[in-house]
Amino acid sequence: MSAPNKQDVHIRLSRRSVLEGLGLVAAGLGLEVVLPSRADASPMPMPTSLPEIPANGLRANVFVHVAPDGRVTIVCHRSEMGQGVRSSLPVLIADELGADMAHVKVVQGDGDAAYGDQNTDGSSSVRKIFDDLRYAGATARTMLVAVAAKRWKVSPAECEARDHAVFHKGTQRVLKFGELATDAAKLKVPEKQAVTLRPRSELKHLGKELPLLDGPDIVRGHATFGADISLPFMVTAVIARPPVAGGKVARYDATKTLAVPGVLKVVELPAATKPFLFQPLGGLAVVAEHTWAAMRGRAALDVTWEGGDNATYDSEAYREQLLEVIGKPGKVVRNVGDAEAALAKAAKRVQATYNTPHLAHAPMEPPAAVARVEHGTCEVWATTQNPQAARSEVAKALGMDPSKVMIHVTLLGGGFGRKSKPDYVVEAALLSKAVGKPVRVQWTREDDVRHDYYHSTSAQRLEAGLDASGKVVAWHQRIAFPPIGSTFSDATFAGDGEMGQGILDLPLAIPDIRMENCEARAHTRIGWLRSVANIYHAFAVQSFIDELAHAKGTDPRDTLLEVLGPSRIVTPKDLGVAKVPNYGQSLDEHPVDTTRLRRVIERVTGLARWDERKQQGRALGLAAHRSFLTYVAVVVSVVKDANEHIRVDEAWIVADAGTIVNMERVRAQMEGAVVFGLSLGLYGQITMKDGATVESNFRDYRLARIAETPRKIHVDIIPSDGRPGGIGEPGVPPVAPALANAVFALTGTRVRELPLVKTVKV
Amino acid sequence: MSLRSKALGIVLGAGAAGVMLSLAFGAGCGGRAAHSTATKLPPADAQALRAPQAFSSIGDKKERSRALFLEASRVMFHPRCANCHPAGDTPTQGDDFRVHDPPVARGPADQGVPGLECTSCHQDRNVELARVPGAPQWHLAPKVMAWQGRTPRSLCEQLKDPARNGGKSLAEIVEHSAHDALVGWGWKPGDGRVPAPGTQAEYGALMAAWVKDGAECPREESQP
Amino acid sequence: MSIRLRVNGTQHDLDVDPEMPLLWALRDLLTLTGTKYGCGQALCGACVVHIDGAAVRSCVTPVRRAEGRDVMTIEGLSPDGSHPLQKAWVELAVPQCGFCQAGQIMTAAALLAKKPKPTDAEIDQSLAGNLCRCGTYTRIRSAVKKAAGLPNE
Repeated sequence: MSAPNKQDVHIRLSRRSVLEGLGLVAAGLGLEVVLPSRADASPMPMPTSLPEIPANGLRANVFVHVAPDGRVTIVCHRSEMGQGVRSSLPVLIADELGADMAHVKVVQGDGDAAYGDQNTDGSSSVRKIFDDLRYAGATARTMLVAVAAKRWKVSPAECEARDHAVFHKGTQRVLKFGELATDAAKLKVPEKQAVTLRPRSELKHLGKELPLLDGPDIVRGHATFGADISLPFMVTAVIARPPVAGGKVARYDATKTLAVPGVLKVVELPAATKPFLFQPLGGLAVVAEHTWAAMRGRAALDVTWEGGDNATYDSEAYREQLLEVIGKPGKVVRNVGDAEAALAKAAKRVQATYNTPHLAHAPMEPPAAVARVEHGTCEVWATTQNPQAARSEVAKALGMDPSKVMIHVTLLGGGFGRKSKPDYVVEAALLSKAVGKPVRVQWTREDDVRHDYYHSTSAQRLEAGLDASGKVVAWHQRIAFPPIGSTFSDATFAGDGEMGQGILDLPLAIPDIRMENCEARAHTRIGWLRSVANIYHAFAVQSFIDELAHAKGTDPRDTLLEVLGPSRIVTPKDLGVAKVPNYGQSLDEHPVDTTRLRRVIERVTGLARWDERKQQGRALGLAAHRSFLTYVAVVVSVVKDANEHIRVDEAWIVADAGTIVNMERVRAQMEGAVVFGLSLGLYGQITMKDGATVESNFRDYRLARIAETPRKIHVDIIPSDGRPGGIGEPGVPPVAPALANAVFALTGTRVRELPLVKTVKV
Repeated sequence: MSLRSKALGIVLGAGAAGVMLSLAFGAGCGGRAAHSTATKLPPADAQALRAPQAFSSIGDKKERSRALFLEASRVMFHPRCANCHPAGDTPTQGDDFRVHDPPVARGPADQGVPGLECTSCHQDRNVELARVPGAPQWHLAPKVMAWQGRTPRSLCEQLKDPARNGGKSLAEIVEHSAHDALVGWGWKPGDGRVPAPGTQAEYGALMAAWVKDGAECPREESQP
Repeated sequence: MSIRLRVNGTQHDLDVDPEMPLLWALRDLLTLTGTKYGCGQALCGACVVHIDGAAVRSCVTPVRRAEGRDVMTIEGLSPDGSHPLQKAWVELAVPQCGFCQAGQIMTAAALLAKKPKPTDAEIDQSLAGNLCRCGTYTRIRSAVKKAAGLPNE
């Protein structure tokens, strides 16, 4: 049950001999996968590399294996970056199977299309594959039960699988899983239609507080992250990258670098060209015997850079440009009635403009990867959210067939979307090829902050019309931000995916609505960061509704509920859109349901004692948002400290995420989302001058510290057996607007620009 | 940025070229007739200290001592020195006296708190490739030795008071100023930081001359 | 130049640049990778180890400072994960990604060694230099108190 650790690596390297010693190895496999013998050629593709699974026994599918000695191995094919996926998905499979977690070993899947989508982002691991994983466990169970039934000459319906064994209901006869595995392996794998999922009530761990799989290794320093891999003859590279994305080396002199003891070589990497995709940024790699020499060598480089197209990018000037852009009409992406006419005849109009800056992901573990290119193959160990993209990008960069590239996924020291982009993995592969040795690429914190795929910067203009009674009768919103698409094409307009994050799907009980998507060209690498465009959309919308409450003189909670409207399912027609992207899932299964949004608002305000919110020296702020098919409401309490600085004192977060797999990790994610949201709300800002990032480390890219964290974060999860929604991201979007609304309530200062530190003393 | 700065009641970085050193004799002071003089001193730029000889034109020994102290106080009020002589429980950093990041606490012995001592990060010298400044025995001046928020006069009185100077004699203060390694860091702060004006030797010489002339303290309103 | 030091009770003679940060000596030369690189500038605390019981940030501590001394890393805090902090960390499921936690635990261990019953404010002060991007701070506070045998609240 351990994380992939260094011992595992050594086991992998010598696995053939180990397995031979155990009599387990199939012929001719070397480092390649050990495929179990199968009675029939299953149509199911198998991964080309899968260490640590015994050769014999039942392999019903890519996710689960039952050995004749009873050991069950479950593959976690998604990356663990703190969201708890390794402590959740395998338990779901085990529950369907009827396995006892005490006899289950969880192994990490390598990057391979055989697993289906492995890109661990979009809060998708449970919501998109909940049923598939259950079927994986249920299929194995069906095969084990079939063998038991046959041996007992009874109907499978009379048998039940639980506690790592199959029981005959009538006679209490028992066969342990291990006793059934060999025969089960001879069966044809049943089609999905022949497999029945258990009733929910039989999934005994579902929704419970499950143990943290890697906790014991983490607290002993035995868990293995990207840079922790060590291979024989491995060297370390630290890379000087062009300060401007798309820039390149104009000239360099490596004399001083090569004089640094321990430095072996300086390798020039090809410059990146637009679109940036997942290309490395190029630059000069200093390859050395160890990290310290590589760092010193890099510091000694004499290099002149050429800036390229982005060399004039100035984020402050760009902010002004975005404000101009939202002063003019954009592409109408959502329309109901005639907002212009409704505004013209409104009794009162309220208008506000909101700005948010670029952000860096800054996972505690900076990007790192180890690659070994030899004998026409490339083996990689990396902290990656996206091992299949790493595989295809490495293959492309090396001119190798993807089947010759193996991507082992380590634990991730945080991801937040940064590690979905495998540029750093490609660097390691290119350098290993160049120097003929295994290479570890270590990004410094400065590299991480200065060469990110940045969260986009945005400007939004919102205007609402109120009738004489104060009812909101018109809503007009313009949105501009450089789109993620710019990293993959020459796109200058946000795509449906981004507009689907709190714009196209925003329920509003307002008769006349118009939303416009305005053009914005990117001048740096834009990427997705935990909850993505929801961050600025929720900030603007939830702040603006609070402003409307102020304009109307009404309770912000009541106003929010009024603007969102009564309990109902909101259709694309109601929304005034052709299609709701809905995070890639169907509206039938995951409708836009205001009942659920209202419920989390009512619940969170109840817990936070909203009605008693006006206490001396303390104020509450509220925001709510649906994202990744999950509904979240947040209340933040702020106070002023002795130095008149605003402090976040306490926070409440309520989520309706449908069915929960691991309640404990869901709570942890919501707690973490509050802190993540506070970091970006209070301090988060990346600025760019002359195309280069100004910030460099935690001294100027500030994150919330322990004393800046609320004394208490209260998490409440709405009980539900509905379709599962996302977990990792949806907690983030409401935090910053709840904070800004609380600051307004406390001080009367309306913050329309993030981070708050630009406007108020925090 | 400046929102994290501490507002300080001290005037910094005077000593611009051609500064007039005003020596105002307050009325009733010492029972003498009120009068004032202004002595023209050679100009000094922000990064230089005037040597004791530059003050020899001041005939009155007490006035000379006061002027010497004012000059030396340019060092003491300099951010490189005053940042670690805070009045509160956390040091400051940078030329704008920002709150130290991470937000460290003074602790009972002015050396931080368990787990986050000054020397958890600060070494015996500046660290290569990291901006962490270092010198032997890196620590905070005790609260009674706070320099931030002081006037030159109150600083001077504090410096002479054994209860507020670590029990040092004047000779020991001169020695400490001239030779202590931690004090000396102020002139070799590393990483592009602006050093204290002059050199440690020049600072030591000013302090010695000040003591020699009677260790007089400047008048309340005097500024360097 | 050879530097002699003891790490988790084992003596090592390292032929190394004396200015090499202890972090890289531990990670690259001794393959003790439980101690993490997070910022290289003493800003995040992921690299905290003990030298003669005092917490230091190994990313800015030259290896020469450890000469002739006892270095303890997370791997040496207990033989089997039984240190009260390690137990509390597991029981309260503090880690998310886990990357900062070795530094958090080593810092907290230095705190508890000198202050067995810290207040909330003292915990916040001692851990002020340890960043956690996942935001596990409230659980860290609770786990330190649990390890100290203090009631939570």
